Amino acid sequence: MRIALLLLPIAMCTTLPGFAQTCVGAEGQLAKASTALTRNAVDNAETILRTLSASHRECPEIILDQARLAQAKGRVEEAAELFYRYTDSDPNDSRGLAYFGRFFLEQHDYMRADALSAAAVDKNPSDPAALALRGQVLVMKEQSPEGQALLEKAVELDPDDPEAQFQLGVIYDKAKAAPQAVQYFQKATALNPSDARAWDYLALNLEPLGDLEGADGAYRKGLQVNQPGRYHDAFLDYNYGRFLAKRNDLTASKRHLDRAVELTPQVRAVWYERAKLDLRMQNYQQASLDGEKAAACVQQGGIIDLQIYTLLTQVYERLGNADLAKKYAELTRKTPPPVRGEQR
Amino acid sequence: MPRIQFENRQQESGITFVLDNGTLPDKPMLDGIPGGVAVLDYDNDGYLDIFFANGASLPGLIKAGNKFANRLYHNNHDGTFTDVTDRAGLRGEGYSIGAAAADYDNDGFVDLYVSGFDRNILYHNNGNGTFTDVTTKAGVTGISSAGKKLWGISAAWLDYDNDGKLDLFVTNYLDWSFATSRVCGPPGQRVSCSPTLYKGQPNLLYHNNGDGTFTDVSETMGISGHIGKGMGVAIADYNDDGWMDIFVANDNERNFLFKNHGGRGFDEIGIESFVAYTDNGVPVSSMGVDFRDWNNDGRPSLVVTALGGETYPLFRNEGNGFFSYESYRAGIGFRSFKMSGWGAGIQDFDNDGYKDLFTANSHVSENANLDKQQHYRQANAVFRNMHDGTFQDVSGNAGDAMQLLAAHRGCAFGDLNNDGKVDIVVSAIGSPAELLYNTSSGGSRWILIKTVGVKSNRDGIGTRIKLTTASGLVQYNHVTAAGSYASSNDPRVHFGFGTDTVIKEIELKWPSGTVQVLHNVKADQILTVTEE
Repeated sequence: MRIALLLLPIAMCTTLPGFAQTCVGAEGQLAKASTALTRNAVDNAETILRTLSASHRECPEIILDQARLAQAKGRVEEAAELFYRYTDSDPNDSRGLAYFGRFFLEQHDYMRADALSAAAVDKNPSDPAALALRGQVLVMKEQSPEGQALLEKAVELDPDDPEAQFQLGVIYDKAKAAPQAVQYFQKATALNPSDARAWDYLALNLEPLGDLEGADGAYRKGLQVNQPGRYHDAFLDYNYGRFLAKRNDLTASKRHLDRAVELTPQVRAVWYERAKLDLRMQNYQQASLDGEKAAACVQQGGIIDLQIYTLLTQVYERLGNADLAKKYAELTRKTPPPVRGEQR
Repeated sequence: MPRIQFENRQQESGITFVLDNGTLPDKPMLDGIPGGVAVLDYDNDGYLDIFFANGASLPGLIKAGNKFANRLYHNNHDGTFTDVTDRAGLRGEGYSIGAAAADYDNDGFVDLYVSGFDRNILYHNNGNGTFTDVTTKAGVTGISSAGKKLWGISAAWLDYDNDGKLDLFVTNYLDWSFATSRVCGPPGQRVSCSPTLYKGQPNLLYHNNGDGTFTDVSETMGISGHIGKGMGVAIADYNDDGWMDIFVANDNERNFLFKNHGGRGFDEIGIESFVAYTDNGVPVSSMGVDFRDWNNDGRPSLVVTALGGETYPLFRNEGNGFFSYESYRAGIGFRSFKMSGWGAGIQDFDNDGYKDLFTANSHVSENANLDKQQHYRQANAVFRNMHDGTFQDVSGNAGDAMQLLAAHRGCAFGDLNNDGKVDIVVSAIGSPAELLYNTSSGGSRWILIKTVGVKSNRDGIGTRIKLTTASGLVQYNHVTAAGSYASSNDPRVHFGFGTDTVIKEIELKWPSGTVQVLHNVKADQILTVTEE
């Protein structure tokens, strides 16, 4: 455990002498670099930081941005090392703690993300980066109202943070409040057009609003930028494939659902959805294979057994396999429908 | 292309009926459910009269005062109606929900069955403008064999065994009472609870003994063994075997399709025929239903209404025993996603020879608006048949009447002014019922066929009709008053057929097995066909 983390509970109150002096003259460029990193404009940030490294070798802020840059480029060990260096040098900087916390969050190290986000807000309750991270963590800890409040404060202080906009959109998406969700995802995608997740969510929320062209455009933009990395969306092809099936473009839907089963073969929903499409396209044999694959996947929310049984009843009926059709019809009949919320 | 247009003429009609659900602050399950309508010619003057089922005060279930009375309005043939409820003796008792009209005793006068939460009532038409409650004598009380009054919603008259006498099917909803009632939502903002909190109930089938009495055959005919949460019911001979089948729309349970085995019993084959669930394999809040051939392939298909976020299921009859879910393929999926619907009909509103869709819309919960995605009061919707298996939502251009936001519930379809266009009467909680006169343009041709059975039941219910025009357009429909939600439609069978002035052939397949063919029939008339 590095010093920064060890010292968190007894937060230090000193700042490194000479910090300001080492960065004098670089403030504007540092701000630009930070903004570029926030918006995932990695090349731009890299160019700025390269220049600054030469001109302000001792400026610690550069280390923080270099850490974020390494994180953005997927160089995890290098990023970790730089984050440690920075937070060791200034354990009281809320931004350093917040960005380091976000790094841990992306590494699925939720305990450290939780601790660092809390410490960051503690250091500076007006730091939008700290508030955004803490808000996100609280939502993940099922403290949604508190998390949402912090995220809202974060975007009020820094409306240009695409991640905070995205996280607020996700909250509204979960609440099935599509109009509000759309607003946040539109801002997120405008600020960071390389965020495939945000495009996907935007499209998913435009669908129920009836903006089909908008949804189609959002899916397409998401697919254009969907690269491995922090903004990668493994379910974009799945969602677009479903959407295209609803729009009766079965051939294109098939293309995307084929890709979806390649990307996430462990997920029941992708096999199920492709089986449904197979059925619709009268590829009954393939539908049975995909349906059985879905049945074999461990249930992980989303698609329930009843849905699989219903589908396989249809598939085997159409294949003329009376025994299997009967088996799945009986399973369908015996399986109770899902229990929904208490109210309409 | 003709435009579908409706005009609400309620204000000048003299119909002042307002559906009163007797709502309470806790929003019990009962108060979202009422609202059946029947269009029936009770005095045989050739014009459809209108009956509205109404609620009652809660929790007492009393029709206290005029505001909860059921209502019968006589059609004066000039666009106005006269309230004849008291003379007819149809004020009703208890919390009424649905209505089904037919001549069950073949005496030439249409009778009326009113289903409800605590009382189901069979009214015999005395032929002189009055009705008599014959429920107990007839044995159609809606009480199960276990002695429990079931919560009746919709009813359908059909001759399931083709013996020339109309039988009665009643859908039942939830095992709910005020004693077991739950509350949902915070105080002051209560919403309707989900039906999943309560057990469902069996449906009932009564066999007509032909002597004014009925026998409960629900168990022996394979009906009551299937417990659902029955809402709408529609009948059609989906497999063209000459025996009427029954579809029941269940709320948050799988839908039922009761396949008729030669009048000797029913098999519930919703799962095997793929109408139990949508293509997503889970139940929706199925409410209303209609069961007719919308694509002129001779096979009755289904439209079902549901709640917002579910889309309205459209099941196309493939003719091989299977149905395919076609909501998105047919173009109503995305459009109906935000709608919540009750009454539903497959009718040719623009007389172009292709049946369109209508849904009476509203969310179930009065406080639905607390969820920003839901709306309690909604406009009705009409989807025009585009002749290629798809529909287009033309509600926005169908007139001011189609923009009216209300808590719509049941609706009945029929030609109120005998102008050859299908009109609609819609009931709405807390606001005046709507009389949607069809004013669609185009001057297309039409025919209304009134069947009079001789060997078959007198109404001719179950008669399958094939119509071929001179230009070769072939259409199919069948005689039934059932369909929509808790409502009863004009039993006269309507066809529109564009510009043809002569119908080349009309083929009627009566329930008795008689096949009757008419040739070169003039368009634009109400044709009475008596079974040969």
